[in-house]
Amino acid sequence: MMMIGVDVGGTFTDFVFVAGGRLWTQKVLSTPPDPARGVLEGLSHEAVGEEGWQLVHGSTVATNALLEQKGAKVALITTAGFEDVLEIGRQERVDLYDFMVERPPVVVPRSLRFGVRERVDCRGKVLEPLDEESLGPLLDRLAKEKVESVAICLLSSYANPSHEARVLHRALELGIPVSASHRILPEYREYERCATTVVNAYVSPLMERYLGRLEAEIGEGRLRIMQSNGGSISAATARQEAVRTILSGPAGGVVGAVSVAKHAGFDKTITFDMGGTSTDVSLVDGDLSVTTEAAVGGLPLRVPLLNIHTVGSGGGSLVWIDEGGALRVGPQSAGADPGPVCYGRGDQITVTDAHLCLGRLDPDRFLGGKMRLDVERAEAAMNDLARQVKLDPLRLAEGTITVANAAMEKAIRVISVERGYDPRAFCLVSFGGAGGLHACSLASSLSIPWVLVPMHAGLLSAYGMLVADVVKDYAKTILRPTTTTPFEEIEAIVNLLQEQGLREMKDEGVAEGLITTEAFVDMRYLGQSYELRVPFGRDVASRFHELHRRSYGYANPARETESVTLRLRVRGKMDKPPLPRVEEGSADAASASVGTRRIFLEDHWVETPVYAREALRAANRIGGPALVVEMSATTLVAPGWKATVDAQGNLLLKNHEPLGALRG
Amino acid sequence: MGRYDPIKLEVFKNLLASVAEEMGVALCRTGHSPNIKERRDYSCAIFDGGSEMIAQAAHIPVHLGSMPLAVKGAMEGRHVGPGDTIILNDPYRGGTHLPDITLISPVFGDEGPSPLFFVANRAHHADVGGMAPGSMGMATEIFQEGIRIPPVMLVEGGTLRRDVVDLLLVNVRTPQEREGDLEAQLAANETGRRRLLEIVARYGADETLHYMEELKAYAERMTREAIRRISDGRYSFEDYLDDDGITTEPVRIAVTVTVTGDQAVIDFTGTSPQVAGSVNAVYAVTLSAVFYVFRCLVDFDIPSNAGCMVPLTVVAPTGTVVNALPPAAVAGGNVEMSQRIVDVLLGALAKALPDRIPAASAGTMSNLMIGGYDPERGRNYAYYETIAGGMGARPTRDGLDAIQTHMTNTWNTPIEALEHAYPIRVLRYEIRRGSGGKGKYRGGDGIRRDFQLLAGATVGLLSDRRRFRPYGLHGGESGQAGESILMTPSEERPLGSKFHIRVGAGEVISIRTPGGGGHGRRTEATG
Repeated sequence: MMMIGVDVGGTFTDFVFVAGGRLWTQKVLSTPPDPARGVLEGLSHEAVGEEGWQLVHGSTVATNALLEQKGAKVALITTAGFEDVLEIGRQERVDLYDFMVERPPVVVPRSLRFGVRERVDCRGKVLEPLDEESLGPLLDRLAKEKVESVAICLLSSYANPSHEARVLHRALELGIPVSASHRILPEYREYERCATTVVNAYVSPLMERYLGRLEAEIGEGRLRIMQSNGGSISAATARQEAVRTILSGPAGGVVGAVSVAKHAGFDKTITFDMGGTSTDVSLVDGDLSVTTEAAVGGLPLRVPLLNIHTVGSGGGSLVWIDEGGALRVGPQSAGADPGPVCYGRGDQITVTDAHLCLGRLDPDRFLGGKMRLDVERAEAAMNDLARQVKLDPLRLAEGTITVANAAMEKAIRVISVERGYDPRAFCLVSFGGAGGLHACSLASSLSIPWVLVPMHAGLLSAYGMLVADVVKDYAKTILRPTTTTPFEEIEAIVNLLQEQGLREMKDEGVAEGLITTEAFVDMRYLGQSYELRVPFGRDVASRFHELHRRSYGYANPARETESVTLRLRVRGKMDKPPLPRVEEGSADAASASVGTRRIFLEDHWVETPVYAREALRAANRIGGPALVVEMSATTLVAPGWKATVDAQGNLLLKNHEPLGALRG
Repeated sequence: MGRYDPIKLEVFKNLLASVAEEMGVALCRTGHSPNIKERRDYSCAIFDGGSEMIAQAAHIPVHLGSMPLAVKGAMEGRHVGPGDTIILNDPYRGGTHLPDITLISPVFGDEGPSPLFFVANRAHHADVGGMAPGSMGMATEIFQEGIRIPPVMLVEGGTLRRDVVDLLLVNVRTPQEREGDLEAQLAANETGRRRLLEIVARYGADETLHYMEELKAYAERMTREAIRRISDGRYSFEDYLDDDGITTEPVRIAVTVTVTGDQAVIDFTGTSPQVAGSVNAVYAVTLSAVFYVFRCLVDFDIPSNAGCMVPLTVVAPTGTVVNALPPAAVAGGNVEMSQRIVDVLLGALAKALPDRIPAASAGTMSNLMIGGYDPERGRNYAYYETIAGGMGARPTRDGLDAIQTHMTNTWNTPIEALEHAYPIRVLRYEIRRGSGGKGKYRGGDGIRRDFQLLAGATVGLLSDRRRFRPYGLHGGESGQAGESILMTPSEERPLGSKFHIRVGAGEVISIRTPGGGGHGRRTEATG
């Protein structure tokens, strides 16, 4: 059986094919107005027959619909009196000191938000029966408004979904997608549940259309979609729950990076994906860690997402001097157009220009030599800016890198130190086009001892699609005191989730023997309002105290705890594809040498050896400083670092300076 | 001006800001009360050894300008050692109002007997005792507002002073929650201390301290630039609080801003003498409001530190509502007077900067406190919430609806969280359509939130803008006044802007917050 991983990016659509123990790749130009076309084109290059193949797909359809506000026309049905919860949100403004501050777009306008009379209390007791009679006229209204999708979020539906289920049942008569909050996210906190449900309704019709088109071409039942949680689901499920695919592409990258790192012997990884306009970082301690507290495009999405943190700092970030005389990098970016100064059109210095001025990019080998970088142009612009701030141009160029690193260091701190992880135990996996020049110094300032630059870094996301298991997440808010609620009562609810999970996993086409489940419970001290997640079992209370102590430095076993939300993760194991292998060589990397370059490092010019990535062989060793160039990236092996090539062709960089004594 | 490297300046700016942010994350994650976790009513900051503020995380503006006085107040005539933490809430010695409890910890390097830095955080506790649940009752002197804590040691040489904690907890209505929040506040300072020492280990104490100075100078330069863009002149404005909650007399706030080059004098002469009710602001709160307004005039993202205040001279006559003296009650000074101080400052500056300054926003935090005994859960409770209102229209844009403005930015408590925790049911939560002032640009609308009490309880409201509506600018209309209504089966009784009453089971309190003022004259086309 052939497995195909596909990642649709902004510029390229990447393919990884696996069959008969062999792995090969393919790259075609993306076709943004109709992404399916690029996918089909890539497939047409291969002899994929009618039989025996499956495709796992990272889709940006949902992401783009949300971020570009091009989703469906959605109507929202709420409890009467609460039609504005979606708009009020948490009532906070995003910038304290800006009179011109705006709020994230409200996905459903007031004129399409409708209240129905009904009320359930927080224990699930019906206080006011559902006004069934009002539903008929309401549905007529929705039909007349030509809405394309419906979201339903009634108060306390997490505790008793009967009213919501009834409205859902009726709304399905409309023959358009309907998203009900108790299905999408049966958890408490009405705004977050509502926003998540509404986003689902907003992106689902587009997903439906796109997947429909793709399946019409390739046939039904062979398509799976990557979710933001690092697992895949069937296309059928993705159509219903498109909100789960919002971070599909980046999730593939993390899964791929973690898989490569694990194979290389690293269980604890920080992934670092530096692109042109932004940088994604994620921390993985053993298993992929998901969060249910993320926000995308200013909206809270409470479905499980891989913990990916994004900062607006990348290779194209603009360099400027503010009124107070500080050197700033980003968040504005030169983007692809006009691009960095050295691309020939832009006039404002970027991080990429700084690297070029420092000699760290080879102008003739950029994108495999397809595009020549204009050094003179970059240097002239750098000189201009340097004169303005009375700095040496080289010092300014180095400073640019330092400031860009500071922003990325902060991002990694947010996901590591701030969450109680010590970066010294981790390996930094760098795979964005712009990351290789920053990885060593970033690792040094965070005391991270190892950097791994995977082979085929550009295809990591598509590879990740193939590595991913089928994963389905379930949750149910229960809000019960832990000590006074009989364990059996909670266990019964877990069992119900379990039955549902197993049934639906089998519907995904996973054989029973390959299915595993894990149950968790989100707990807190009674009176707290945020929770910690502990594995479910009889001893949840002691696990919670222990985790609380570990996370926050104190615990109080005498204090009563509350079980807030039960969570179940059902996993269908997939066969792991093989990794590519490179030819075995010796410690001597001379055969990959392509000469030397003068690069500016730590205040002086150093004649630095340059190696071609594709010519490196397993067991080759390279001492820093050195540059390793490949088609879409350049890696700087910094002074004090040594690189070795492993059997898979990964570059493994180790810091040989004592940790902790490093300067930023 | 010292010597600085633009690169290091930016690096230290990021580093120090991230310390304050990390403290906030630690506080939020470990805090116990909904007030901290759901509503995020807290702030964190770091200070140099001279008690000057260096960096602050962007949390709650009313805390920001007032924190510097907390460290100065705490350190007055005192020696501290490693492992010490000082606690305070006395508005007359570094605090703002009693519910805001501040913890200050010195940070020592390897050498020297004096601290290199201080870290501090301030969190709003839902109850600190006093005459009414929520500790913002109809007090006429501070002694009625709760336990008053002058700067005292909470932790000495790393050991928690149990006696101090016990003294505090026995005076409040919900001791367990308070204790949990104090633990979180300690955790936040510890996070800050650890991170600052990491920075010192990496860059050395000298360089770190040098750049702390440079960052102050940097913020000062940026603030001076912003002031320079205001034409020289004297700009005056006045506005009123409806009343002090005890009498029905309006309370006058007057200001004259005199701009000369790159500095400004902000003179509150002409403001009402301090009043019997709790709307008196201590000096720190007034400073906060001034700080906030000028910080908004700086277009760039700058560190909020002591440098921002250098070009500003604040004249706040003592014994007035903008610089109250003991034993004036002050709970509402922090939350209500602070908003009106912003309103008068913006009103004055609108004359100088007509195309930058927005019309008046809701101008009240609409502080709602409900407390009593919960028969179902068998415990006392104290619930506190602020309800957002309409934002004033901007010179080129409508004001935002239902959003926190100016001196606060606390979140709401989710209805489902609130109903789970307290014997309260929310019957409506909606935008008060049409309450924003009309104009070329429309003021934002306020909020209506109706609470039904499932058990009899005490309900307190500390709000304003029931009589004096949020002003419009340049021909824009005023926003609608707020309303508070008690709804019983037999009647709908309008209540004032400030009250404390017993409400019976089944009765409903409906709070309707003001809309923002409009901007510019309305024409046919703009409607």
